[in-house]
This record gives sequence, C-alpha cells and structure tokens, in this order.
Amino acid sequence: MTQENLSPSGIPIKDIYTPEDIKGLNYKKDLNASGEPPFTRGPYPSMYRGQAWTARRLSGFNTPEETNELYKEECKLGQTGFSVAPDMTTPSGMDADDPRAAAEVGHAGVPFSTLQDMEICFADLPIDKVSTYLADRIGGFLTAMYLVMAEKRGIPMAQVRGTSANDLLAWSALNLLNQVSPEANLRYAVDLIEWCAINAPKWNALSIDSYNARDNGVNAVQEIGLAMANGIQYIEEEKKRGRVPLDKFVKRFSFNTAVHNDIFEEACKLRAARRVWYKIITERYGITDPNCAKFRVHVQSSGSTHTYQEPYNNIIRIAFQVLAGVLGGAQSIHANGYDEAICLPTDQAMLLSIRTGQLVQYESGVTRTIDPLGGSYYIESLTNEIEKRVWDFIAEVEAQGGLAKAISKGWVHRLYRDAIISYEDKIQKKEIPVVGVNVHRLDKAPYEVPIFKPDPKRSAAHQIEKLKKLKKERDNAKVKQCIAKVEEATRKGENVMPATIEAIRNYATLGELSALQIKVYGEWKYPMGI
Amino acid sequence: MVKKATKKIKILMAKPGIEGHWRGLVAVSNALRDGGFEVIYGSNMTPEEIANTAVQEDVDVVGVSIMSANYVMLFDMVVKALKKAGKGDVIKLIGGILWEEDFATLKKMGAAGCFPPGTPLQEIVDFVKEKTKNLA
Repeated sequence: MTQENLSPSGIPIKDIYTPEDIKGLNYKKDLNASGEPPFTRGPYPSMYRGQAWTARRLSGFNTPEETNELYKEECKLGQTGFSVAPDMTTPSGMDADDPRAAAEVGHAGVPFSTLQDMEICFADLPIDKVSTYLADRIGGFLTAMYLVMAEKRGIPMAQVRGTSANDLLAWSALNLLNQVSPEANLRYAVDLIEWCAINAPKWNALSIDSYNARDNGVNAVQEIGLAMANGIQYIEEEKKRGRVPLDKFVKRFSFNTAVHNDIFEEACKLRAARRVWYKIITERYGITDPNCAKFRVHVQSSGSTHTYQEPYNNIIRIAFQVLAGVLGGAQSIHANGYDEAICLPTDQAMLLSIRTGQLVQYESGVTRTIDPLGGSYYIESLTNEIEKRVWDFIAEVEAQGGLAKAISKGWVHRLYRDAIISYEDKIQKKEIPVVGVNVHRLDKAPYEVPIFKPDPKRSAAHQIEKLKKLKKERDNAKVKQCIAKVEEATRKGENVMPATIEAIRNYATLGELSALQIKVYGEWKYPMGI
Repeated sequence: MVKKATKKIKILMAKPGIEGHWRGLVAVSNALRDGGFEVIYGSNMTPEEIANTAVQEDVDVVGVSIMSANYVMLFDMVVKALKKAGKGDVIKLIGGILWEEDFATLKKMGAAGCFPPGTPLQEIVDFVKEKTKNLA
C-alpha cells in the first residue's frame, strides 16, 4: 500500500471533506436541478422518479435463429430493449464463409452476413415497441440491415428506434483484422450520422463508446477525456462538411461508458461528463438547442474487473458497479454475467444480470430521490477535480491533431499498453488488491460454476449453408451494380449510406461491402507492440 | 516485478484467429521480456503465420492467447501448422479463458502449460525458465 491515498485515476483523496472543499461552488451554474443546464444532476427533470433506466443485456450467440429464441426469452423477463452483440466475424467485416473466420462464426456473439440474418434474428419480436442497440461496426451495415428489415415489416425508417455503436474509439480499441484507418472510419461514421439525422431521426446513429478503451486499462479521467475528444472530432468533421446543421447532427449523440470498481469516482465521472459535454456543445460550438447538450449514457459493468477465480465474487462486483451507474444517473445499464471471465453467460447468469438492476431499482431505495449524492463535500469536490482533469486530457488529444490522428499514429494505443503494463505490475505488487486473486487467494478453487458451451461447428456450417443458398438465389447482377454504386459514392466523397442501404436491401453481404472499404482505403495496421 | 532468466530464449507470442482481446497477450509478453526472454510480439496471426514465423525466427517457445471458447480448435490448428512447418517440437504454451476440464486435452495435444486469467505473471516466467533450462 502506498502512503498517499489516490483514487484509481490518481486523484489525491483526503481523509475527510468539509465546506472548504466546495467553497467556490455555485449551485445554479455548476449543479442546478436535474434537466437544467449544465445537467450535472441528470439530463432529465424527473430522472428515475419518472422512469427507471433501461435494462439492456448485450447478448447474442451461435446463430441468428438461436439468438431470436434468446431475445424472446429476454422479452418475457421484462427487458425493455435489445442489445445485439455480433460475433467477431461481423466487426472484422468477414462473412460466415470467409476462411479467416473458420473458427469464429457464432462465437462470443451472433453472426450477420446479410439482411436475411437480421430478418431471422428479429422475427416476431416487438421492434415497434422496444428499442435496439446494435454493436455495429463502422459503415452502418448492421444498421442498414435493421432499418431495411423494419421497413419490410411496415415500420417506416423514420419511426424505428435504436442505437448504433458506429464509433471509431470503440472499434479501434480491439485488435481486429480487416480494418480501414481511423481517419477513413471517421468519414464512414459521419456519413451514417448525417444520413440518420435526415432519414431516421429516432435512431441514435452514434454511441460514443469508451467502454473498450476503459477495459484496455485507461482510468476514469482518461476514459471520459477520450469520449469527449471523440465527440468533438465528429462535430469538427461535420463542421468542415456543412451538410447538416450542427444541432440536428448532434441531437441524438449518446454515450456508452464502463462502470468500474470505485463507486464514487465512477458516479462523479458521469456527473462531470454531463457538465463537460454541456460546455462543449454550448460554449465551444454555440449550439442552443438544450437537448443537444444532454449527455445521455448507457453504462456497462467493467469486464476487466471480473475474475476467473471464485466467479461468484463477480456478482458482488457487478452489483456495486450497477449501483455506481445508478448513483451517477445513467439512462441505460447492462450488468454483465458473473461468469463472463469464464464463458458466455449461462441462463442463470443472464437472469442474475437482469435481477441485479431490478434489486437496485425496487429494493435498495437509491431511486427515492434524484442525484442523492449531490451536495456532498466529497462528491462535488471530486466531480470538480475530474472535470478539470478531463479538460486537460482533451487538450492533450487535440494537441495530437484530434482523436482519429491520435489513434492512427499510435498515441492512444501507447496509453493503453502503458496502462496495462502498469496495472499488471501493481497487481503483482498487490498495490491494487483483487480479492480471491492477489488478496486472500485460496490454493484450491473452492467451487465450480456451470459453463455455457456454444457449438461453433454447427453455427459455421449452418451459416455457410444459408449464405450459399442466398448467394444463388439473389439477383447477383443487381448486387454487383449496387456495390459499384457504393464504390462510386465512396470515391466521390458522397454520403455512402443511400447506396449502402440499396446494396443491403438486395442482399449484398457484409464481407462484400467491407472488402470494398479495404479496396478504397487500404488496411490499417493495429499499432500495438511491447 | 519479475526476476530475470539467465539465458536468452526466444519466444513467439501470438493470437490465432480474429478475436481482438490483446490485453493478456501484452501483459504476458511484457512479463516474459522483463524476465529476460527475447519476445516476438506477433499480435493476431493465422496458424500458418504463427508456424512460419516460428520457423523463420527459430523460436524456442510459442505462446498463444485465446479469449473465445474455440480455443481447443484453434490450438489444434496451431499445433498442426507447426508440425507441418517442421517445428512440431517447439515448446507450446496456451493462455486465456481456458476451462480446467480441457487442460488434459490441451496437454495431450502438446501444450506444455495452460494459463487461465489471474495466473501470477511470475509463475508463467518461472514455468518457461524451468521448461527451457535444458536449451541453454
């Protein structure tokens, strides 16, 4: 243990806080009521007094058929939104029959090669009533599949509700094959945002997502700093293009962060983020629509904190993390399965994940009043300090030429690598205690937990068979023509979405459209090493 | 902090397949390098790329890190590719989300060691030192 009492972000924490620590605080200017600028206490006036957070589990496995059954179960449990986890082939831009993906189809998520997979995945589900989150790769292929699927079921695209990941910070955090550069991804991401702002105004075309970055080891301040710098670069890109008024462009931006172990730092992180986003939108960009300045956030318990040793301990960790999200005023929460350091969650773990949120909501009493932490000497002082450090971090990213450049040249990945190495070093030295792992570790595992085992061979064979049949049956001349149009739009610098949607509608595959991106922009090499 | 090994042994660390969770690979690669080994950080590679690199670099150890449930299948692909490339005798390690019930299978397939999440890094370094001491 070090003598100095530091938060995980490195903020010195005092033994006790007093009025001295918040003496400059101006209630109206710095806090204000929930739903009132700068939204520190929450983006909506009634917060959980009006509506609880959305319970969303990120899920999907094996095949679209089996995932469809899973989503029907989730509906029965009272889940109010779907959250689609694609398998690794999907963000890698590979179809089920891609030889590179031979061992991965249906692993850790549901595979989508074409519109047909999306149609199967959402068959008979109430997509007119719930909203759906798509962990979509950049380029909007899954979003296009979803919107076309809805339209074919009689729901106009303008009415469809949901969210696309579509975020370059999130996807560049993973080491994926078959990717274009962050700069190219910025172009594609902005294309989707522009297109949705006009054609699918109820769809959140971007979820600024710092979850993966956080699990790559950065701290809470850096996480929010990355998220904010990320938001800024999308706006800067649209400012350059001038195709959509900025207020329309940013209106439906939403965020997705991790919730980590330190309850108060995590809650304060969300409070500080709301204030920073408000200032970016109003002060930096002069956007006057107050809805644009609301930081709306989905949070997820931090997978990197879950341990393989004594997995039931993760139930407690996840409950604390969900509590932090609630105290921080999140709009939507995903509690991980306690067994995710071991396998995809079992049915029992998934039930527990839904129940964790419900226990906080119905039994803990923390939703009885809005922003219950507000006004605490410690909380307000910590919120201020996080905000200050977030601004400093944003300035650092901007000095790199903006986030896409900072990622492209490896600056962000050096942060990740250094954070991981430093974290592991602290774990070895027990400076960061992890119960059951480096503190109070048992010689022998005290119990076993059930393991969920997907059947990969069956998924791949099934998906390949379907794809083969589809490729024979679709109008291949038309598909070719559609893809040529996407290429033309890409090269001319036009918005690629209209052509992409037509291609998807005609059952062009995810692999075909991804190959086109690589053809135009080349493949990006992931900047990681030791 | 990890204690240094006495002799430079060459290790290729890589992720077969397309799954992108690299955190464990970086942490273990770094610990092995600090432990005195020469480490080639291979990142994501196909089994064939792993085998070819292992031959070209004439490594003593190949470590693979896998976070998805298809690790038996992927490890098998790596073992076969190494054999085919004439490097079947290299010391093979596997890390990642591994189920204890599969350890015996993995060892039968040729894994010298299986390292699930939460394994102390020093334990991995010591293990590799022990396994490679006769290569000095």
